Amino acid sequence: MQKFFFNRKLVIVIIVLIISFGLMSVSVAVRNKKSTPPLLQQFGNDVAGAVDRVIAWPVNGLQGASNSVSDLLNTYQENQKLKKQVDQLAQAKVNAQTATAENKQLRKELKLNNSLTAYTAVTANVLTRTPSSWMNQLVISKGATAGIKKNMPVMSQSGLIGRVVEVNQTNSKVELISSTSSSADKFAIQVTNKAGSTVNGIVTGYDKSTNLIEMGSVTSKTKIKKGDKVVTSGLGGVTPKGLYVGTVAKVKQDDYGLASEIEITPAANLTDLTVVTVAVQ
Amino acid sequence: MRVSRLRIIFPVGLFLALFLDGSLSNVFAAHLFKYPYSSVLHLVLLWIIFAVFLDDRNDLSIGIWSAFAGLVFDWYYTGILGVYMVALPLVVYLSRQVKPWLDLNFLTMLMVYIINLTIVEAFVYIWYLIGKVMTSNLADFAVYTLGPTIAVNLALFVILYYPVRQLYLKVS
Repeated sequence: MQKFFFNRKLVIVIIVLIISFGLMSVSVAVRNKKSTPPLLQQFGNDVAGAVDRVIAWPVNGLQGASNSVSDLLNTYQENQKLKKQVDQLAQAKVNAQTATAENKQLRKELKLNNSLTAYTAVTANVLTRTPSSWMNQLVISKGATAGIKKNMPVMSQSGLIGRVVEVNQTNSKVELISSTSSSADKFAIQVTNKAGSTVNGIVTGYDKSTNLIEMGSVTSKTKIKKGDKVVTSGLGGVTPKGLYVGTVAKVKQDDYGLASEIEITPAANLTDLTVVTVAVQ
Repeated sequence: MRVSRLRIIFPVGLFLALFLDGSLSNVFAAHLFKYPYSSVLHLVLLWIIFAVFLDDRNDLSIGIWSAFAGLVFDWYYTGILGVYMVALPLVVYLSRQVKPWLDLNFLTMLMVYIINLTIVEAFVYIWYLIGKVMTSNLADFAVYTLGPTIAVNLALFVILYYPVRQLYLKVS
């Protein structure tokens, strides 16, 4: 151990630490810029992604198999429950189809080509999750070649789960909404109550202990009740309008008692993700 | 001939461990990252420690390979360079320093592994904290991250120790 404190070694250690810290600072600073990561890094990530596909495939297959078994065990109860819903859904579907057709026609007459709600869905597999307690990130199997760009919203089958933070050619990184990093820019969302009036706001945080999304600093007097639906509002950015986020769990006063804070039960399960959808505008 | 086989097996296993870390984290996310605990898989570190202590001839360039694996980790998983890239070779260096003083057996390796896990996790924690990548206090880190991480990885160590040792005895 005495050798460690030799002058030359100490200098080397300090230089290595400075280089390491410099690299980290630069990549943190560059991370939030619009431009995608540098080409060399993209190339490295694409190669790593290609190798990862080979290793992730059997592991994900194993997960699929175990999910199938547990699905099979619950089939009977689920079937009973779903049968009841199917009848209602058929009617709702027909309604929706007529409304969509009408909407399309009206839009054509008004010459509105790009509205807030229009997007195309790109489906991707989840390759891995970052093995770190500080980052809730996924790597998904589609990248710039599939039209994915930075900051696009990502959904699972049931609802919003996060946004794209880094795009390579054939894979990209997704930051989950449960991420607490200070630099994460948040979603614009709106709550619609039973009477049809809406409250706009942004996602301000995520309560890990209860698994609830927080929407803070709400000063609107509109009455919001438990169970009201929350969707993205489409304001200010690349997120389209009308992506399902979840339902209101409770409304409470914030810490200072001036504004209220709405807590939202997310529709998606953030710990069981195999296939995700990116909303490309 | 005997040397060359280990020279292939080591890097292949290293990258297998690297990608398995991520895949298994995703598959078992519900168990590993159950609030408030978050346990981080460190198969890469496990593989490196095995290589440092079980390779008697010291002719694997573990330091360089671990730096490379750290670089891929930073690029591919976190997007923040220079953290694991330095943490992993640091651990290799420290382990090599203590190796001559240790009577190598299951228990001493277990101890060294715990210390190395702590070093890596603490290094990453401090670096991310200074770089403002995240915010967390020391008590939460120790109780909710470091504790469960060590528990999970020790279990993996105990399971994998004899198979990997057999592998090294057979190959070298």
